[in-house]
Amino acid sequence: MRTILKVNEVTKIYTKGQKPSLHKVSFEAEAGEFIGIMGASGSGKTTLLNVLSTIDRPTEGNVLIDDVNLEKLSDSEAADFRRDHLGFIFQEYFLLDSLTVRENISVPLTLQKIPPKKIEYMVRSLAERFGIASQLDKYPGELSGGQRQRVSAARAVIKKPGILFADEPTGALDSASATELLKALYEANRDLRTMILMVTHDPYAASYANRILIFRDGRIVEELRRNRDERQKFYERIIEKVAEMDTGRN
Amino acid sequence: MKREMNYEMNAFYIAYRNLKKNVSFYLLYFVSAAFVIAVFFSFTSFSKSRIILDKISSDGRVETMCSTISVFLMAFVIFYMAYSNRFFLRRRTKELGIYALLGYRKADILKLLISENIYICCLAFLFGILMGALAYRGIVCLINGLLRLGIRQSELSFLDPSAVAQTAVFVAAVLVILVISNGRFLWRSSLMDLVRFEKSAEKKMKFHKLPAAAGFLMILSGYGLSLDILRGSRSVWIRAGFYQTGLLTLFLVTAGTVLFIAFFLPYVMERSKRHKKSFYTDMKIVTTPGFIYRIRSNSRTLIMLTLLSAAVLTVSSVMALTLYYPIAAVSRVAPSEIEFRIGDGMREEDIIDLAERYAPDAADTEITITDLYRVTSDSDHLPVEYSLGSSMNGAQGEEILREAGFECISYSQYRRLLEEQGKNKAADRYAPLSGNECILLKYQPDEQEEPEAGRQYVLDFANGSAEVTVKELSLDNVISFANSVGTLVVSDELYSAISRGQTPDVRVASLNGSALKDNEALYQALSDYLDGSPYLQGHSHRINELIYMNSSTFLLIGFLVILFFIAAGSILYFNNRSAAEDSKADYEILEKIGYRRSKIRKIIRRQIRAFFAIPFLLGLADCIFASMVYKAGLMQNLLGSSWSQYVPVGIAVLLTALIYFVYYILTVKSCCATVWPLDRTMNCSAIGQNDELSTRI
Ligand SMILES: Nc1ncnc2c1ncn2[C@@H]1O[C@H](COP(=O)(O)OP(=O)(O)O)[C@@H](O)[C@H]1O
Ligand SMILES: [Mg+2]
Repeated sequence: MRTILKVNEVTKIYTKGQKPSLHKVSFEAEAGEFIGIMGASGSGKTTLLNVLSTIDRPTEGNVLIDDVNLEKLSDSEAADFRRDHLGFIFQEYFLLDSLTVRENISVPLTLQKIPPKKIEYMVRSLAERFGIASQLDKYPGELSGGQRQRVSAARAVIKKPGILFADEPTGALDSASATELLKALYEANRDLRTMILMVTHDPYAASYANRILIFRDGRIVEELRRNRDERQKFYERIIEKVAEMDTGRN
Repeated sequence: MKREMNYEMNAFYIAYRNLKKNVSFYLLYFVSAAFVIAVFFSFTSFSKSRIILDKISSDGRVETMCSTISVFLMAFVIFYMAYSNRFFLRRRTKELGIYALLGYRKADILKLLISENIYICCLAFLFGILMGALAYRGIVCLINGLLRLGIRQSELSFLDPSAVAQTAVFVAAVLVILVISNGRFLWRSSLMDLVRFEKSAEKKMKFHKLPAAAGFLMILSGYGLSLDILRGSRSVWIRAGFYQTGLLTLFLVTAGTVLFIAFFLPYVMERSKRHKKSFYTDMKIVTTPGFIYRIRSNSRTLIMLTLLSAAVLTVSSVMALTLYYPIAAVSRVAPSEIEFRIGDGMREEDIIDLAERYAPDAADTEITITDLYRVTSDSDHLPVEYSLGSSMNGAQGEEILREAGFECISYSQYRRLLEEQGKNKAADRYAPLSGNECILLKYQPDEQEEPEAGRQYVLDFANGSAEVTVKELSLDNVISFANSVGTLVVSDELYSAISRGQTPDVRVASLNGSALKDNEALYQALSDYLDGSPYLQGHSHRINELIYMNSSTFLLIGFLVILFFIAAGSILYFNNRSAAEDSKADYEILEKIGYRRSKIRKIIRRQIRAFFAIPFLLGLADCIFASMVYKAGLMQNLLGSSWSQYVPVGIAVLLTALIYFVYYILTVKSCCATVWPLDRTMNCSAIGQNDELSTRI
């Protein structure tokens, strides 16, 4: 397997004198991996996603995606890089309120100058897969939380990004909607070989990943690999681990 | 009791903190309120100043106009303050909802709002009075210089106490209105409304075909009706009545504008989405829905701005026309610097003496005496000028009857006068006349079905008769209409035949030269010498008189126009700025998806541009058609139809465009600063050529 993401000793300090939000974080990831990121609030998970996805810049260290050093990119190049290689899903959905579902999903493709006919076709087939085909002409305001998150996921997946970043995508969803979304992500990962980095608090959500990085105070303190376990088995291991870390804190 | 006190302190304190926190946003609100009050105050000072009014108003006309305009002005200030107050209130509903959740009673929240209003109104009042006083000074200086009123600055007090008092009372009244309006808003909305207020606009939009089509058709037919006036006597305006047609047109355009903005524009934009090729582009897919959304949620503001802008543009264009047109027409009404009829027993030496006394050592002064001979004709199809009954410019207002007939001057006299009047281009245009050719000087441009040029008339005069052919028609009269109408320029041979052994019917003296320009002393002396004769005409004298007569109207309308621009500009600014703030999250998403900043800035610019363009362009169209109707229907036409007459309209439009443009740039800058508050290196260029460059820096 090819290594796509290389994170070398990345440190992020927002304000001088403050303790670092990320402290010399290093890890690598291969194409097609589904990585879960767990940890308490404020442990630096969102900061990590921002730094990995060119939204923010590290104070020290560097990040390589497909051998491109993110540090070297200008703002416009970074924008083009996001356009061509990265996808995002957020806890707060972040849909454009004045656009219909169809238009929301189409935006990344228009940016890549894909012809309208093809856009329509791709949107339709993806919407079917995410179970939102009947909602295409509605506005985000008319959808439930779960539907919105699926729209958001469809928008992230549609351009077949090399890496998909998801920050607590199931945080605001009920368990049924969460499961649907996770299945969709799992399939995208399996069928399209999209690498996924997903921040989550939920051990169930994390169990869809094949590797889990656990953060505390800006560092990776633990790493769990799924290996050949069934999802159910992996889920139990994660719960165990989380419980263990909680007792460690007491 | 103590608790009450505390609450009050609290409300004031929170209000103060809140104002401080949102300084930049409130700043413009405050500044525009101060400006509006400044305009009001300087207007009030002006209309209360006896020193000025005594000089510029003789018949109470200015006073009447002042009181009419002050009503408009007050209505406008109240409207503007109420609008911006409501606008800010809407922006803050969520904040107010949080206060309510925390346990504030509605009365407490109202107290908070009242305190804020008092802060802003008091500050705006103070600044407004100061700025207004300065502006008033400036205005007085300006009209003093322009009209030579001879007012000494020391005669004026810096602050007129009664104007201050009146402004204070008015601001207090506005404050009461704002408090009532805020109270109504608070009591009408439930806690749920307050907390979820912002979401309410997200309802599914419906697009109605019928009102959209009606709006489009109504505007179109309104414009069509106004164009119809150009058909002259065959137009609906003449056949069905000017007043009725005018009302109908006004109704069609106003109602049409309302429907056009509220239904037609969103409908067309919605339809444009069906054109997949152009819609599925990275710009349009964001801007088109955004535009539809904004135009629907702000249609009332847009409609109001458009109608106001149409009204203001029209008023200023019509004003410009009413001043410009008579001034332009002075070159025909009084072609020479000074001109009068020489009566019996008047000596040429006296005139020369007077001219030398009042315009000494002037090398280029020319005094020419032209003899006019009246001839009659029995031919068919005589031009209207032949029998035009009375002189149109009886300077004293009395009608002076003239005998029907052509009044002949010779070609060389004609040419000489043209040259003396500085119309060299015109002089070169008319080639010498031979034998029986003549030039007919028209009063109004030729509007006959069959052209008058080429017609033949038999002239009867004391020494015989002759048949002449009209070689051409001309609007370049060299003698004022007070002294000659139906002037016929004949060849020198014919002229000598007509004049041989006869005394001229009219002798006209024409004085020209740079030293005579604006020479009121000479004009006055001549007027005395001529016993106030109505035949005395002066070019620059007439222009000065026109400026003097119209200046107060202009000044007063000017107050309204300035007020409009302050209000309209601020409304556009607030509106766009708050929209940018609301869309901040959207722009962040776009940036994450991979839109470059330059592209997002372009999106912001486009959205603002659309918002500015609607009131400006629609207002402009309304103004053009309205000025056209006014010009064609209500104004005399002495100048023929040349585009140059629309110069003042053009200037009014250009100035408006310029002001809108400046506001546009400011708004774009401010919106970009809102979206990227920390971004100091990347200045948001409003023109947007060096976007690519600036992103890289
Ligand atoms: N923009 C910022 N400015 C300053 N400090 C920040 C900023 N964003 C996050 N932090 C700090 O960095 C740490 C990590 O935050 P974050 O990555 O958001 O945590 P998580 O996503 O794991 O909850 C926290 O201590 C937070 O206070
Ligand atoms: Mg987070």
